Amino acid sequence: MAKVLEGPGMGLLRKWGLQTPNYAVVGSSEELEQLAQANDWLTKSSLVVKAHEALGSRFKLGLVKVGLDLKEAKAAAKEMLGRTVGTLTIREVIVSEAVDHSEEYYVAVKSTRDGADVMVANCGGVEVESNWDRVKRCPVVVGDTPTDKALEALAKEAGFTGDLVPQVADFARKLFLCFDNEDAQYLEINPVVRNAAGELVALDAVTLLDGDAKFRHPDWTFPFAAEFGRAYTTNEEEVMAVDSKVKGSVKLIEIPGGDTAMLPAGGGASVYYSDAVVARGGKLANYAEYSGDPPDWAVEVLTDKVCSLPGIKNIIVGGAIANFTDVKKTFGGIINAFRKAKTEGKLDGVRIWVRRGGPNEKQGLAAMTALKDEGFDIEVFDRRTPLTDIVDMALAKK
Amino acid sequence: MSILATKETHVVIQGGVAGVNAARRMGEFRHMIQQPLNVSAFVYPPDAGKTNEIVCGNRLLTIPVYKTVAEATANHPEINTSLVYIGADRAYAGTKEALDNSGIQVVSMITEGLPEKDSKLLGAYARKLGKVFNGPSSIGVLSAGECRLGVIGGAFDNLVACKLYRPGSFGVITKSGGLSNEIIWICSQFADGVTTAIGIGGDAYPGTDYVTYLEMFENDPQTKAVVVVGEMGGDLEERAAEWYGAKKRRIRLLAVVSGFCQESLPKGMKFGHAGAKEGLQGEGSARAKSEALKKAGAMVPETFGALGPAIKQTYEELVKSGEVTPIPELSEAEKPKLPRTVEQGMKDGDILVAPLIKSTISDDRGDEPLYEGYPASELINKGYDIPHIIGLLWDKRLVSKQEAEIIRRIIILSADHGPCVSGALTTIIGACAGTGLSQAVAAGLIMIGPRFGGAVTDAGRYFSHAIANNMSVDEFLGYMKKNVGPVPGIGHRVKSLRNPDKRVKELVGYVKSLDLATPHLDFALEVEKITAAKKDNLILNVDGTMAAVLVDLGFPVDSLNGFFVLSRTIGLIGHWADQKRQGSRLIRLFNYLVNYAAPARREVPPLK
Repeated sequence: MAKVLEGPGMGLLRKWGLQTPNYAVVGSSEELEQLAQANDWLTKSSLVVKAHEALGSRFKLGLVKVGLDLKEAKAAAKEMLGRTVGTLTIREVIVSEAVDHSEEYYVAVKSTRDGADVMVANCGGVEVESNWDRVKRCPVVVGDTPTDKALEALAKEAGFTGDLVPQVADFARKLFLCFDNEDAQYLEINPVVRNAAGELVALDAVTLLDGDAKFRHPDWTFPFAAEFGRAYTTNEEEVMAVDSKVKGSVKLIEIPGGDTAMLPAGGGASVYYSDAVVARGGKLANYAEYSGDPPDWAVEVLTDKVCSLPGIKNIIVGGAIANFTDVKKTFGGIINAFRKAKTEGKLDGVRIWVRRGGPNEKQGLAAMTALKDEGFDIEVFDRRTPLTDIVDMALAKK
Repeated sequence: MSILATKETHVVIQGGVAGVNAARRMGEFRHMIQQPLNVSAFVYPPDAGKTNEIVCGNRLLTIPVYKTVAEATANHPEINTSLVYIGADRAYAGTKEALDNSGIQVVSMITEGLPEKDSKLLGAYARKLGKVFNGPSSIGVLSAGECRLGVIGGAFDNLVACKLYRPGSFGVITKSGGLSNEIIWICSQFADGVTTAIGIGGDAYPGTDYVTYLEMFENDPQTKAVVVVGEMGGDLEERAAEWYGAKKRRIRLLAVVSGFCQESLPKGMKFGHAGAKEGLQGEGSARAKSEALKKAGAMVPETFGALGPAIKQTYEELVKSGEVTPIPELSEAEKPKLPRTVEQGMKDGDILVAPLIKSTISDDRGDEPLYEGYPASELINKGYDIPHIIGLLWDKRLVSKQEAEIIRRIIILSADHGPCVSGALTTIIGACAGTGLSQAVAAGLIMIGPRFGGAVTDAGRYFSHAIANNMSVDEFLGYMKKNVGPVPGIGHRVKSLRNPDKRVKELVGYVKSLDLATPHLDFALEVEKITAAKKDNLILNVDGTMAAVLVDLGFPVDSLNGFFVLSRTIGLIGHWADQKRQGSRLIRLFNYLVNYAAPARREVPPLK
């Protein structure tokens, strides 16, 4: 799943005929000034300025300002731009036109196993979150499009009456078209509002696209944002850059404050390893995973980042019995990075735990075991030791 | 018995290199169970019409590659299963093609990163047709003792270690490829092994779900229990629980679900497979899934580590109840083995191979070439130069500094002689005709022979003969006249006593300035005195000079032409590049440069 920021998200909605407030994404207050010379709405309307970054709780952080005129908007932009939140520097703000409204609604399309659910509620904003039963669904089988009749029935079921029924149905129809044609996985407009002219406007949107479908969307020129309410760290971005280049995959998510570093193989096993750490009362310092027989240098980069995590006490080099990932080769990459980390003092007081099986397991495990002679604090186990026992041993020895 | 992949499964593999690798793994499995290969064909348009070589046992099989699935099934009507190894951007079309084929009932896709919509469309399409679309991102399907689809099960040693040569009693369904193999291993160690293990793929909406296969396992009498390895996200585990709890089932169900760590992770942070995403209202959490499975009567160990003992307990209960009879283990000697390769046999020291060729000058088996045992980099670092390498490779010795300098001068003097000489002209004609470097240069080299640059060896041979037999110049010339003809190395087309060859003068002058015994050169110069007196262009030419000097240095006679070939190659490459750079056009001889001496036009007589 790939999250898209508000600006490009609004762009996609407009592409499929949905109305959004006027907006502009700018990187400096000067840009805003220049845009104002050509765009009436910036001088005539009440404006909203928001940090245009992958950040949760922007309101609390003071990164959303409402009811501004252009001068105030410029000041707000100036104040927000360049601010740092954690590891993230705010590089863009989105300035949009405030829309006067009294009623707020909710329209969303969500991917399901059989296709998608079109979801509608006649309340919006925070209200819908506490009244989830008011959200009504219309399932659509993959390959189909919902009929106007079905969508009008859905609007009625959600409690809309009069003119609003065809209006909401039309809005939902367009949102579905956007969902279906843009390979979206989740589109949520909350709130949908009615402007002074009586038209429905998408005020705020959550846009999750299917990153795997990027190959058939040459117009997706925007970057994807981190899904977890913070920006990617430099290390994460570097691993992602490697991941995009290689056969197989390498993945890294850093979790501040943890002391158990993870370097397991496999998308399935890696989560069981994380579960085992948590079950043992350990604190994860990261999530990592390599799979699909990636080149040794890619695993080396990943290992380098894992060894660089601050305050770690154990590194769990776990893995199930691989089908085709070469244990000797991938361990070669890990060993290179371990040696480098050791000379840099990053492994002082760090215990390494290895468990693995698969093609060339004997040579790979022997190479790991040989690290003992180089002064590494390392314990190596083969397939006869159950998958997550190394986690039990690592955390029991604390 | 088994499900999905059976003794009757015949496969077409759609895809390139990855598909060929899968076929090789499948070949290993078939060898293990002593059955013929069940891959009938490949479909890969870029290679259509070619064949792929697949090893099965000690035989190398040629499996045809077709452009379309329809062609493959028309030629191999036994095909009933397709494995998809096509890139994500083309996998939908390829899979649809397979599903549309009436002979194909099962399609399993290993492709990762297939767009979710494509996966859903293919799943729905397959269900409509009553077929199975397994995957995407599936490691494959393996039925012990019967059939392997894809690389599931890993290397041959692992197949044997997991006793996959014969069926056990446990079915396995996982999303993760690595964990499918892990469970197969656990089932072989804690119980009697597996019947069928299936990877359904880690995507959010795989084409099939646990229920699809639980139904099949329920109807497979060999399978007594099924192990399901679940993940947070989606509702496949809940649906499996619902199926299991709906009525009394014959099979026992064991399950674990990953993703408990989610509960203590920072909000919004998720990881694992694409499908491992918790729903909006906490639906699909590991805990909810585990609870649902437990409630339905499945055995759900708290951790993955506890799965082994749970499988063991189940197996012991099955044995106790008489549902399962323990299978006697094979002895080490009885276990299947892969035929060894010659390389492996030689490494193990019990195979002797008669070599086809013998080389006494160089060795390429290490990390760098050894010339006569000397590492190339060490020669460089110790100041050795190209003449020394010539000495090592042509005469198996390290020449002295002085000798190296003479060789260096010989190379410089003979590197080129303008565009008009036979070699260069031929190379230029070749370059103008558009031939490549090696062809044009080789054409020029072919010109080197008795009349052009190729007299060095012969000159050396006869000068050596004279010296070895203590001949006088007169005796030598008499011998040559009687037995050979003109003396090789003597005579020039344009040079003469009055128009001497500067190259000869230079080389002779240099060699004579050294403290070096040069009996051959001295003899050759004596010969020249006599011959040039008879006719002034019968001078010692560059071939003869090189020959005499090189024989004096001790180079074997047979290597002597090599000095001219080597030196002139430098010039020929230059001429080729020169013409190429200029973009020269095709050239041909003007007919006024030909004396047309053939008979004039005349009538062809009637054919008799």
